[in-house]
Amino acid sequence: MRNLIILLAAVAAFIALPHGLSFSQQEILVFLTINILLVSSYRLLTLTGEWSLGHVVIMGVGAYASALFSKKLGVYVPVSILLGGITAALLAVLLSFPLFRMKGFYFLIGSFAAGEIIRLLWKRFRDPFGGAKGIKGIDPMPDFSIGIYDFDFFEPVSYYYMSGAVVAFCLWVLWRIEKSPVGLTFHAVHWQDKLAEASGVNLRAYRTLAFAIASGFAGIGGALLAHYIGTINPNSFDVEVMVFVLTWAIVGGTGTFYGPILGCVVLTVLNEIVLREMGFEQMRPLIYGAIMILSILFMPKGLESVVQKIFSRRAPDGAPKQEAAK
Amino acid sequence: MLSKIMKSGLTRRTFLQSTAAAAAASSMPRVALAADKVIKIGFLAPLTGPVAAWGKPGLDGCEIWAERVNAAGGIKLADGDYQVEFVGYDNEYDPAKARTGATKLIREDGVSFIMMLGGDTWPGVQPVADKTGMLFSTLLPSDLSPDTTTLIAPAEVHPIYNVTGVEWLAENKPELKTAVMCAQDDALGLPSVATYLAAFEAAGIEMLDDPLLFDPATTDFAPVVTKLISGNPDIVCLDTCYSDYVHPIAEQLFQQGFKGQIISCTADFYDQMIAKTSEEFMEGFIFQFPDFDDAALNSDQINFADPNGFYAEFNKRFPGQWGAVSWEYASIMDLWKAAAEKAGSAEPDAVAAAMKEGGTGKHAFGDAKWWGTELFGIDNALVGDWPVVAIEGGKATIKEFRSIPAWYDKHGDLLVKHMKAYDQMWDQRG
Repeated sequence: MRNLIILLAAVAAFIALPHGLSFSQQEILVFLTINILLVSSYRLLTLTGEWSLGHVVIMGVGAYASALFSKKLGVYVPVSILLGGITAALLAVLLSFPLFRMKGFYFLIGSFAAGEIIRLLWKRFRDPFGGAKGIKGIDPMPDFSIGIYDFDFFEPVSYYYMSGAVVAFCLWVLWRIEKSPVGLTFHAVHWQDKLAEASGVNLRAYRTLAFAIASGFAGIGGALLAHYIGTINPNSFDVEVMVFVLTWAIVGGTGTFYGPILGCVVLTVLNEIVLREMGFEQMRPLIYGAIMILSILFMPKGLESVVQKIFSRRAPDGAPKQEAAK
Repeated sequence: MLSKIMKSGLTRRTFLQSTAAAAAASSMPRVALAADKVIKIGFLAPLTGPVAAWGKPGLDGCEIWAERVNAAGGIKLADGDYQVEFVGYDNEYDPAKARTGATKLIREDGVSFIMMLGGDTWPGVQPVADKTGMLFSTLLPSDLSPDTTTLIAPAEVHPIYNVTGVEWLAENKPELKTAVMCAQDDALGLPSVATYLAAFEAAGIEMLDDPLLFDPATTDFAPVVTKLISGNPDIVCLDTCYSDYVHPIAEQLFQQGFKGQIISCTADFYDQMIAKTSEEFMEGFIFQFPDFDDAALNSDQINFADPNGFYAEFNKRFPGQWGAVSWEYASIMDLWKAAAEKAGSAEPDAVAAAMKEGGTGKHAFGDAKWWGTELFGIDNALVGDWPVVAIEGGKATIKEFRSIPAWYDKHGDLLVKHMKAYDQMWDQRG
């Protein structure tokens, strides 16, 4: 019963949220929703201990694939979004062969190089990728009605509902994966790799699996983005965007499922709404950078540690012990 | 019924109604003072990041323009005089942020017109423009297509005006016979490459090599320049490189001992380039954007009001910040103001119709015509004369004004050929 009430409250909040926002904030909400999927999928990869610099490019692979499937082959947009995710996952499997011959820092650099190669291919091959200008006139989600609500996907509220539902489902899947034996094995691959290997775990296979799943969901995020703004180009997925993803993950913290989401929400609201509304339009990079440095200095475990502190204070005495005793 | 209530679709009609309501609401507390009536103009360009040099100085110039216009009584429409106010939004040269900015400017701020740099950001905004009917301007006519009916390019016909620099070089320095070119491989660089190739071919100047396209993320230009000048060219063309590239490339050309001619679309902050190289090295550097203290801008053909005073004021407020776009957005506002006053209204449709009436317009550098069907699929670019500028004695100097349409009448087929080769014709893009 309690879970049902929480679920209903979450659905009500999900539906009501955009109606309390201005038009431009609704637009930002759409991009924020997509970025939540991006950063959450990134966290799944980090569970295995590998940090990639190519995740945003992989997101772009999903965006390009979905755009091309719908534009060149006439695939129905919702199907092309799914195919975008699958394409990104398949490409990740291919990339895993060279990349997972490396670990740690070398993997980081290798993933950056792989991402740059993909971006250069988009630029070099004007057909079909559109070269430096990218692809524009990407088919939007087809409008439809469910009787009580007409979905007009030019409108950010409609797109937020659709993408929010997709992202919520993807997050649920990611959550279930993390909590499954596969997710526990991802943790083992990171923290106890020798022990895991001695227990018969194929480290490379699990790293590849995490990479493919994370890439698949990033690809879906990219596809959602492409069909909303109607245009993509190689610069939309460059390393500068990747730095934002890293900062969301680092400032939020990667110890919990909600950490990167918290980082993404707080930093996006700060950068795109608070600083703009305060009139710091041109000072935003400076202030954003300063806040980031301060948060890392004073909250090295990320924003999630603040949430954990708040909830541990509220927990009744002895509660953790009881939990541990179970 | 609920469906109708919850439907929040935006049409031109609902947009105009909501904008009128927003404008009325915003002016309600001030209704007693007619002089306080305000027209808001949107400025949607990169104000931070690597492309900010083509946004921020433009907004600074617009603020000066607004002060001058407001001091002179504002914009005179059928229902009274209006003060003008600019509302900026930093799109960071990102199409998604440009879409958000366009939405904010139109649906929240109630602007009557939006000026953009264009390029990568325009496709993100185009659906908003189509849906709302808002009038937009771009500095990059390569954004134009038959679908972009509410987009105009009234200030610069980038990159077509670059032909004037090459034509001037060929006539005044006929000893220069060979050229090489480099450009960043992006939406700004490629149409410019096609234009320079056409201009060099028309001028009988041989290209020693294919244009060297470098990645926009490039930071080390030493190998680029080494390869570029390995064939000992007479001319090095820097295409439409961002100032972040023009400066290090010029520095490398200096350090690697290049003694020939340099031609570039822009030379923003050229005083810094001179400081990094030498006055002798930069002597004769050809580009396309004058300082507005140039005496040539005081001739009768110039339609920009008090260019020398504008330049002096700009430099007083923003020393060392004068660049290619400092005057351009302000010159667009001159056109918009004249059209709005002619129409007696700030409504986008009325202003656009008044602006294009008769097929001609008053461009900053002289009377010009609305043009572009062959190249852009629509006559929404205002084209006329353009200055050729050379650095002489450490100072930008206008050498001559040359006609872009006259060049196109003679060599248009070459331009189309090279634009097609780089997939830059309107029907090849995207």
